[in-house]
Amino acid sequence: MSGVILGNTLRIAWKQMLYWGLGLGILGAYIIFIASNSDIVQGYADLFDSLPPALMNVLGASGSELFRTTEGWVVTILVSELALFISVYAVMAGLAISANEEQSGILDVVLSLPISRRAFLLERWLAYALLAFGIVLISALLPTLTAIGVGLDADIGIIAASIMAVYPGALVVIAATVLLSTLFRRRIAAIGAVSAFVIGSYMASILGGAASGFLPDLLEALSYFSYVGGESIVSGEYEPTGALGLLAAAGLAFVLSAHLFDRRDIGT
Amino acid sequence: MAASAVIDIKGLSKIYGSGGKSLVALDKLTLQVEPGEIFGYLGPNGAGKTTTIRVLLDLIRPSSGSATIFGMDARQQSVAIHQRIGFLPGELNLWQGRSGAQVIHYVASVRGGVKSIVKQAEELAARLKLDTSKKVRDLSSGNKRKLGLVIAMMHSPDLLILDEPTSGLDPLVQQTFHELMNEYRDKGKTVFLSSHVLSEVQAICDRVGILRDGDLKAVQSVDALTNVKFRWVHVQFRDDVPAEVAQGLRGLAAVSEFNADGCHARMRLQGDFDPLLRTIAAGYVEQLHVEEPTLEDIFLAYYSGGGEDA
Repeated sequence: MSGVILGNTLRIAWKQMLYWGLGLGILGAYIIFIASNSDIVQGYADLFDSLPPALMNVLGASGSELFRTTEGWVVTILVSELALFISVYAVMAGLAISANEEQSGILDVVLSLPISRRAFLLERWLAYALLAFGIVLISALLPTLTAIGVGLDADIGIIAASIMAVYPGALVVIAATVLLSTLFRRRIAAIGAVSAFVIGSYMASILGGAASGFLPDLLEALSYFSYVGGESIVSGEYEPTGALGLLAAAGLAFVLSAHLFDRRDIGT
Repeated sequence: MAASAVIDIKGLSKIYGSGGKSLVALDKLTLQVEPGEIFGYLGPNGAGKTTTIRVLLDLIRPSSGSATIFGMDARQQSVAIHQRIGFLPGELNLWQGRSGAQVIHYVASVRGGVKSIVKQAEELAARLKLDTSKKVRDLSSGNKRKLGLVIAMMHSPDLLILDEPTSGLDPLVQQTFHELMNEYRDKGKTVFLSSHVLSEVQAICDRVGILRDGDLKAVQSVDALTNVKFRWVHVQFRDDVPAEVAQGLRGLAAVSEFNADGCHARMRLQGDFDPLLRTIAAGYVEQLHVEEPTLEDIFLAYYSGGGEDA
């Protein structure tokens, strides 16, 4: 592994990381700004008190007590949106790792150079994993600085940690996208499959949280959104095993992708 | 001989799909390309030229058979092989938003030894009159092709694999390309180029392989390939082609594809001239022109299935 592909990918895509990070960071900063008005937070808490638990789950919270603290309110409002937006980036990143260039034929030129397919995929993977980390970091940094700036009466560390906890889920989506584009070869088929995976996970998380029983629990367990961890960080019940599980799943998907990519024909 | 071959392909087959929908792209192809030669690989679209090249580059995997380059397995030792080859794909796609210079720098970085490679790339770009400061998206198809040639040749590879290299190049640049190829051969390097431009193959190649439907029909030197038995004969009469002459020519066993148009007659002659000369002597012949078959004629003869008889 020479690092040339890694460095080149970072050089090409760093602006994309900056724009995504700034966009999501400004969204977070805006929510922090709203949260600095305690009347709004209280109003939400009162509203959620009147909602049935299932509807509350659909809105991203398992109980109205989350809204009793400012950090709880911020995390509930912000993290599920961030997780979804970053999943969109992760799909784009996953396609950029190999599928886009394979479809356009650029990969023929790249893989005729002295670099193995596995090394190429690994360097690309690492580059986009770093870029996704950069986005999450900027997304956490802007709200944190805003919170300090407006003197938010909240545990800012919890807010920052909850945003950062989105990262393992992004890696899972990147890995799933690479795996599916390796399997399907056609970019459009991969986009369809990975969109179904992300939307399916999101729906499974909501539906699973809205009820109890074997099927809802299973749905919730299968969704990577369930392991993002925002609420549990606020409640102090965060277990890192969920995040570690996501990292392991991402790693496994990468190894499988590399194996398949190494064995199959390049090009459509 | 095969042991020293730069490219050694043995019984290579590539079948896409399976069952009733399978497509045989290459059928037990066996071929050797020797060091220091320019080998032309001829065939129409879909003949399997690009498939062969993609197997050699390890972009696709053969269904059976083997291919070695420099004695190394094209699949198992692809990275070591790629260090010593330059490749120009038939359909060149590059990063649209990057300049030619950036693309060159990137490819040179992956190859290692950026300074010397970039220096050579600049020299090649100057010879091909390529402006490397322009972004890929702003380059014409011909200029993209030039950039592809620069990328393929800038590290002085021992083997060049070029898929339709002059497609889209203007005649002057094609001339420069021919010069570059001849210089390459003079340095003892090897070129494997696919083409359907027969005049180009005739001008620069030492040997030619003719591929049809994934099957290698012939491998011959360009000289041997053009040394065939038929000629095109053009006869210009003072008046319209006399009816008895036309009838006589049509009746000759050695004459085929006879075509009369006013005072001009054209025919394919396979055999001695004497019967033809005696027949046309019945008219007043102003001009007689004998044309050697072009490689295109030979090419067509092979494609129509009569290659060996031509």
